[in-house]
This record gives sequence, structure tokens and C-alpha cells, in this order.
Amino acid sequence: MQQLFDQLGIDWHLLLSQAVNFFILLVVLRVFIYKPLLKLLHDRRARIEEGLMKADEADKRLAEVDIIGKGKIKDAESQALNILKKTEVDARKLEAEMFAEAKRKGAEEFKNLEAILHAREQAAHLAIEKEAALLIKRAIVRTVELSPEKIDDALIEKSVKEMKHIV
Amino acid sequence: MLQISLRAEQIFHIGSFPVTNAVLLSGVALVLLAVLAITLRSKLAFVPNAGQNIMELVVGGALTLMDSVLGNRKSSEKYLPLVFTVFLFVLCSNWLGLLPGVGSIVVKGVGGEVVPLLRSPASDLNFTLALALIVVTFVNIFGIAAVGLKSRLSVFFNFKGPIDFFVGILELISEFAKIISFSFRLFGNVFAGEVLLAIMAFLVPYLVPLPFMFLEIFVGFIQAFIFGMLTLVFVAMAVVTHGDEH
Repeated sequence: MQQLFDQLGIDWHLLLSQAVNFFILLVVLRVFIYKPLLKLLHDRRARIEEGLMKADEADKRLAEVDIIGKGKIKDAESQALNILKKTEVDARKLEAEMFAEAKRKGAEEFKNLEAILHAREQAAHLAIEKEAALLIKRAIVRTVELSPEKIDDALIEKSVKEMKHIV
Repeated sequence: MLQISLRAEQIFHIGSFPVTNAVLLSGVALVLLAVLAITLRSKLAFVPNAGQNIMELVVGGALTLMDSVLGNRKSSEKYLPLVFTVFLFVLCSNWLGLLPGVGSIVVKGVGGEVVPLLRSPASDLNFTLALALIVVTFVNIFGIAAVGLKSRLSVFFNFKGPIDFFVGILELISEFAKIISFSFRLFGNVFAGEVLLAIMAFLVPYLVPLPFMFLEIFVGFIQAFIFGMLTLVFVAMAVVTHGDEH
């Protein structure tokens, strides 16, 4: 056996040297490459998974917010419609009230105006009556001042003229 | 004159330890890979650069391949250091053995004869045998750690019946056969490649050796891959309980 090993060049010193070489390499690669690299790959995987999970969650939330937003817009539209309807009803009511008020005020004003006109008419009548009385008074005075013959002649003459004019 | 030696030539001694040209080149491979590893470690970042991208691609590919054999990522990560280091060390050694100067730069050896300064490590049986012994030892350690000492031993020493006993003995023999097949396969391929290249370079120095160089680059990779894959398969077989295999 020893002769065979000698022929093949197998020597335990050399075997040990090569084994030590391999072990040193194994330790160096384990410490400097495998451990840190696998840790890095795990961390990266975890980060990517976390990112994807968060993106999914964000999508879900966005969809929820979208649904809530749509609901709120619908509510707002409905509220706006109600407000518009109510405003229209109120406006019509107000319009009717204002119209009635204006009508009432118009009638009142008309009455006032009528009263004022009536008063003025009364005042005018009174003034005319006063004026007429004064004229009559003056006429009577003049008449008293004139001679009856002259008045008779004048009346006759006027009557004759009227008669001529009619014929 | 062309010299072909089955044994690696001794260059010098460190104490009682001889240093052969094959040990020297495996030392170079070790230093090269260690420097590369330390450099890459210092540049490791969450956002990878080009070098780190390549490293992640290679390690990721190795893990995916291991997943297909071991069945899960956790086991792949656990056994990656052994499997991938074996692959890298053999690959680097094989390719370094093809570089110009390896085999052609000569020095005076221990006995005073002229010998090559460097020699492909896998063309020395000590390298391949050491790796084979380490792999088989680790495979059994992993097996014991995974299924327990009793369960692991029952693979080799099974007294449930004569057939089981015989199968156990065959398993035990196959463990030693693994060491021999592991070491001689790699040694045979690389040594044959070295001899082929040496003869071609000796007969027709220009152009003709080139296709054989490409062939040896391919063979170097394939042998490293086979060594790594067999390690992986043996680990996968060892870490399942005896009953699970069937």
C-alpha cells in the first residue's frame, strides 16, 4: 500500500497542506462573501416584499378613499339639489309675499293718493266756492251800483242778439 | 526534453513539510480568491455595482440549482459554503493551471533537478484526495447533524435483516468508493489534459495547441461543476433520514 501511495505521490504532509488551503479558503469565503451576501439578499428581499405589501395596502386605501370620495360627492350633489329646491321654494314664497306686500302697499298708496286728491278737490271746491261767492258779491255790488234801466236795456239787447244768432 | 511526472515536484521545504509546485499553485489560487473575496466584501452595498451584480447572479444561480436538489432555500443556504467553495477552488485551480508560465517556468527542485515552478493542483492526487476526504467527511457530519448519529450509522450498519445488512455494507464500501472516484476522476481529467497540452506544445508549438487549450478550459469548468454537483447530491442524500430515501 505504501508503495502504491509512493508511486502515486500521495504524502500526508501534502494532503494536510491542501486540506489546510481549502479550510482557509472556506473560512475566508464564508466570512467575507457568503454570510454578508446572503444577509444582504435577505434584507433586500424583505425590503422588496415590504414595499410590495405597502403598495398593495396603498392601492387598497386609494380604492377605499375613492369609494368614500364618490359617496361624499354623491351626498354633496344630493345636498346641493335639496338646497336648490328649498331655495327655489323659498324664493317663490318670498316672491309671493313680496308681491302681496307690494300689492298691499300699492293699494295703501292708492288710497292715500285718493285721499290727498279728494282733499285737494275739496280744497279746490272750497276755493272755487270762495271765489264764486266773492265774484257774486262783487257782481251784486256792481249790479247794485248800476241803474235798472241800463240793466234792462243791456239784457234786452243781449237777448235780441242771442235770438238773431239762433235764427 | 519533455518530462511527464505523476508526482508533484518538490520545490522547497517548510520545516518537515514539503512544498510542491502543485501546493504552490493551490496557494496562489487561495490568495487570489481570498483577495477577490475581501475586495468584493468591502464594496458590498444595498444597491449593487457591476461586480456585486455578477457575484449575486452567480451565487443566486448556484442557490437556485441547489434548491432543485435540496428542495428548499434554507438548506441551500446552509450547504452553500461547502459546495460553492469546492466548485470555486477546483475551477480556479484548473484555470490557473492553464495560464502561460505554469509548467514552463522552471526552477531547481529539492533534489537538484530542474522542475516546473507551478503545476495545476488537480494534476496532483494529494489535492484531489484531500478535497474528496474533506467532502466525504463533511457529508457525514452534515448527515449526523441532520438525522442524528444513530440514524446515520444505521445506513451503514443495519441489522434488520440479511438484505439490509448487505445493503449497509455496500453503502459503507460506497463511501470509500466515493473518495476514490472523486479524487481519481478529477485527477485523471486534469492530468490527462496537462499531458495532452504538453505533448501538443512539444510536437507543434504554434496554433495547434490552441483548440486543446479551449477544450481544457471547458474540461476545467466541467470537472469543477461535477465535483460541486456530486458534493451537493451526496449532501442531499445524507441529510434525509434512511426511510425518506425510498
